[in-house]
Amino acid sequence: MSLQLVFDALSLGGIYAIAALGIALIFGVMKLVNFAHGQFIAFAVFALIVPSANAVATLGIGALPAPLLITLVLAIGAGLAVLAERLVFRPLRDASPVSLMVASFALGVMLQNLLLVTYGGRPKAVSLWAGLGAPVPVLTAQVPLLQLIVIGAVAAILAGLALMLKRTRIGLEMRAAAEDFGMARLLGVKANVVISGAFALSGALAAVVALVLVAQTGVADVRMGGQIMLVAFIATVVGGMGSLPGAVAAGLLIGAASALLQAFLPPEARPFRDAFLYGLVILVLLARPQGLFAPAGAKPRV
Amino acid sequence: MKRLALPLAALTLAAPAQADITVGFAIAQSGWMEAYDTPAATAAQIRIDEINAAGGLLGEQIRVITADTRTDRAEAARAGLELVDDGAQMLVVSCDYDFGAPAALVAEGEGMNSFFLCAEDIKAGVQGVGPNSFSSSVLAAVQGATMAEWSYARRDARTAYVLEDTFIEYNKGICTGFDWMFPRLDGAQIVGRDTFVNDDASIASQITRIRALPEEPDVIMLCSVMPGAAAAVRQIRAAGINSLILNGSAVDGSYWLGATPGLSGFVVPVQGSIYGDDPRPEVEAFNAAYEGRTGSRPASQYAYPGYVLIDLWARAVEAAGTVDGAAVTAQLEAMTDAPTTFGPRSFSDALHHQNTALMQIIEITDGTPARVDEWRISEPVPMSVLIAQ
Repeated sequence: MSLQLVFDALSLGGIYAIAALGIALIFGVMKLVNFAHGQFIAFAVFALIVPSANAVATLGIGALPAPLLITLVLAIGAGLAVLAERLVFRPLRDASPVSLMVASFALGVMLQNLLLVTYGGRPKAVSLWAGLGAPVPVLTAQVPLLQLIVIGAVAAILAGLALMLKRTRIGLEMRAAAEDFGMARLLGVKANVVISGAFALSGALAAVVALVLVAQTGVADVRMGGQIMLVAFIATVVGGMGSLPGAVAAGLLIGAASALLQAFLPPEARPFRDAFLYGLVILVLLARPQGLFAPAGAKPRV
Repeated sequence: MKRLALPLAALTLAAPAQADITVGFAIAQSGWMEAYDTPAATAAQIRIDEINAAGGLLGEQIRVITADTRTDRAEAARAGLELVDDGAQMLVVSCDYDFGAPAALVAEGEGMNSFFLCAEDIKAGVQGVGPNSFSSSVLAAVQGATMAEWSYARRDARTAYVLEDTFIEYNKGICTGFDWMFPRLDGAQIVGRDTFVNDDASIASQITRIRALPEEPDVIMLCSVMPGAAAAVRQIRAAGINSLILNGSAVDGSYWLGATPGLSGFVVPVQGSIYGDDPRPEVEAFNAAYEGRTGSRPASQYAYPGYVLIDLWARAVEAAGTVDGAAVTAQLEAMTDAPTTFGPRSFSDALHHQNTALMQIIEITDGTPARVDEWRISEPVPMSVLIAQ
């Protein structure tokens, strides 16, 4: 039971961590909280099926072999994010963070309505990799294969990203831009390259979340992604705005807390699980208003 | 255009040449609710066309005017007002209570009748909107109670696990009905319960709890709607849990079955079968008429309440000899087991819903839905249970 719970907690936390990372990456380089991230996820989900308002969905990309499918969906997620940056956020680069946030809301609403018009309002069945739900014995627990894959993928993505940020030029530039964007530009960092790169990564991470969600639930719905976006946003705040490790850690923590509350709350209190969860978030923020891992730049200077 | 229309409207008022009866549809023609409102509204239109073809209502033709609520509560109130201004004498409002109520309240304020396209929440009637508001659909609690009694009688269900999605009131209603009926049955017991939220990314913790039971329950009462219901079924079956899964009418339709390939042992109660196997030929005749009009058969049973509501309202109008709200309401409340294409319907001054109904039982086997039985609960769900939910 307890080991089972560890896997439940890690896999849910892993999904939230990846989503939170997608938001934190963009916030880091341009102080934009991208509220369209949830719709990026939904868009990547719907990319799997042939556009049609018919009740029964036909798989398009979703019918391809896994390596090709994953590559294509990641590319679509990244492409969408880069396109959004180019068309919406680049012209607004000098605007205030509030204007940027409102623009991201607008983009989200637009994307959702685009999906509604193209695919209709009814949820659609997308049976992607149905075999992944089968339980595999791990020591004393029965763990769905998908949970193991999610946990493994999260670890791989985090390691890869850490390497990229520490060892590559674009990574160095991104970290520099996150630290002090103005100074980084003065020192020769190309703003467009860094920001486009962050958007591409963020979009690809949204696509990862989309694939996990679809494999888990078997459904595509225009409203999906919204709940994850909310949790991910909260995770970036709890982790400390602008801190990538903070976002990941807080995403994991929130997912784990959610799974633990579900397991240990008495039945009468369980319908209010999310109220308890967000209550905990408030407690954390009261204790550490800057978040758990606030970057140096976020602290008031006076 | 509006300014031009005003003097014209005055002219038509002066000359009572246009004596049609006007029914206003304040429904979602855009937004996510559209997928649920359009089928029921189409069915209502089919019945209206039948009535008009047979000579009309009180000797007059029924005219339909429509306003889009855009799946938005504020827009729904505006749509209701617009239709009343344009001369609507009865309002048909959005399927769901939350989205239909703002327009229904406008009708109530004018002393007009309103019908929800398919609301299954008791508030969509006397208890919520007011004395002239009705729904022809079957209360969620009746669906849950039907599943409890049917699975006990026909599948020897003695142990049940209740998994409730806390997303909307409808889900709560199904579980309330099941919770009322199942423990009353001799030897039947609810062995555990849990909750989840419709858009939970994973219900792994909930499944861990089911698997921790000493024995797999005979049935799992899943009180949920799409898309969460399909996601839950996929995860339950993937975990190797083979209990019979029960749900409410809301998940009728085969469009979501691809989410769990080869699904078996999933049962829902419906008002009529969309699968061509309903024992009542008039149901299949309706399915054919629907296909003739839209090019495809109904995607779920939720087209049917639209047909029934016009049918019942028109009968009450004929009996009352007027479309006046109070007079028609009195006639509707006098109906006891009034026969319709989709089973008998009753209303009373205390309840503008069905607290019992003949339901068709649809079971999914190897990914294919089929009608396997029909069931009417042995006693109506009592008012105390309906109100307490």
